[in-house]
Amino acid sequence: MSSEEYLVKQAINGDQEAFAQLYNQNFDRIHRYIYVKVRSQAEAEDLTQDVFIKALGSIGSYKYRELPFAAWLFKIAHNRVIDHVRKVSKEKRASLDEAYAKSLEDPVQMTERNSEVQQLKEALEHLPEAQREVATLRFIGQLSIAEVAKTLGKSEGTVKALQFNATASLRKTLYEKING
Amino acid sequence: MARQLEDIFNECYERIRSGESLKSCLKRYPKHAAELEPLLKTAFDIGRRASYIHPRPEFKHWARVHLEGMQHHARQQRQPVAKPGPFIWRQSWSVAVAAVLIIVLTGSSTAIASSNAMPDEPLYPVKLATEDMRLAVAVSDTQKAQVHTQLAETRAVEVETMADEGKTEYAAITAAKLVKQLELANSAIARVESTVGTAPLPTTTEEQPLTTEEQPPVTEEQPQVTEEQPQVTEEQPPVTEEQPQVTEEQPQVTEEQPTPTEGQPTPPAFTKRDKGVTAKTERFKKSLEGSTSRSLKALEGAMEKAPPQAKPDWQRTINMISEKGPAPVWPSQPTPQSDNTTRNEGWPTPQSDNTTWDQGKPNPFSPYNNQPSSSEWQNTGNKDWPSDKAQNNWSNNSTAK
Repeated sequence: MSSEEYLVKQAINGDQEAFAQLYNQNFDRIHRYIYVKVRSQAEAEDLTQDVFIKALGSIGSYKYRELPFAAWLFKIAHNRVIDHVRKVSKEKRASLDEAYAKSLEDPVQMTERNSEVQQLKEALEHLPEAQREVATLRFIGQLSIAEVAKTLGKSEGTVKALQFNATASLRKTLYEKING
Repeated sequence: MARQLEDIFNECYERIRSGESLKSCLKRYPKHAAELEPLLKTAFDIGRRASYIHPRPEFKHWARVHLEGMQHHARQQRQPVAKPGPFIWRQSWSVAVAAVLIIVLTGSSTAIASSNAMPDEPLYPVKLATEDMRLAVAVSDTQKAQVHTQLAETRAVEVETMADEGKTEYAAITAAKLVKQLELANSAIARVESTVGTAPLPTTTEEQPLTTEEQPPVTEEQPQVTEEQPQVTEEQPPVTEEQPQVTEEQPQVTEEQPTPTEGQPTPPAFTKRDKGVTAKTERFKKSLEGSTSRSLKALEGAMEKAPPQAKPDWQRTINMISEKGPAPVWPSQPTPQSDNTTRNEGWPTPQSDNTTWDQGKPNPFSPYNNQPSSSEWQNTGNKDWPSDKAQNNWSNNSTAK
């Protein structure tokens, strides 16, 4: 039994410390995944917390063998983001707020990083939905091909193809923008 | 061919993630190196850019505090709860008996000592269990409202103590308990108020002083039908709608009062007893106001001492307590229901999405809900949301640095 599987079992049995460890292991990447998919940091924070509340509420029904825990969390995040995007798509789409990079003492470097994150968000927005989902889970969520395939319900071959095409498109968007 | 390149790309990506160099990986596939290199660089550039995205530390911290609070609450909920029904009094008494056994077994000094326990102390769970016992043995709505009001006061003292001692996690968890307790107390008070203007309730020993003067004597002609009086026979028919309870002997019916006519509902009699109940609920509300303002003051003090990045989270907690606090008591209002009306009209209506933690919709500690502080509410004449300037300040406080 892997350490993660053990932690999950403990968390299912109500062990608060075990859930806290799973929370710490996954919180940042879930937040990152959501952040690049929504308009603002506020939305990202709301949705990130929603994901963990949902996970806490339904961890009793989670089965490790069907889906690794991280993939299960990303699946919750994926569904939550879809619901959210559907909801806000009816509203007037506001401009993206400024990206949030970890505060740095050097304001120039911080501005550069914010700009790079913002470019990434915009480049991802230009991708077809399936490619965007794979690229986000794979490169930002850091899931394996197998985990992405299980999360999205696609074959590994399909995920690899989507990953390749997404990378090519992102390269074009990101560097054309810089060079252009 | 294309399929093969996708596999090679994925293999190289995994190898580099595991520590192999880009150069080494490209050497494995010299035919595809020219095409693979920019794509692999792009893939890792995406990861590099994403690595700059971090949750605000205070958000991460408060979200965890919130989840821990939910876990604690869930554990409490899993404890068996008496089902409402005709036998609830038996279950209440069984709780009381169990509590007595606990006190005997653990020592009454433990229970007494726990009464002053703070959330960070080992005896605090005993204190909570004792409070459950107090609620279980509260029979009437008035007694329940009184206990809930006292528990709100207890939570407020705990919030104040934890905030003063700089124990922010405990202060936050206890503040969440206080919000819940304020809800329960307000609901219990509303239940008591809903009885005003209706037929007199079966009296209890505690309520007796409020009602002895005003209640008409129970005569043989007006049998009180209760569970304890199963002797209602055909000779003593139960009181029905066709048998008006207001008789000539009852003092509250006077010549000045309009006589009910056929087809029109009889207005509820507002007796001195009702006034007594209203006075009691107003006292409860004043107590809740005191608890609310006490905890708000402590939390505002804690917010002042907090680092700038944590201030929005403290503000969020303050706003939640402000929302759940009681409406101002207006003694001059003629009817007890007027307080509720005043609350709805005079105070800004909170956005429901931002008030329910347990349903998972809102992020109670997110500073982006654009909710004003209690002082901002008061400064807006109680009618509107804060000015644009206030909202901008609110947003600016939470803008990423």
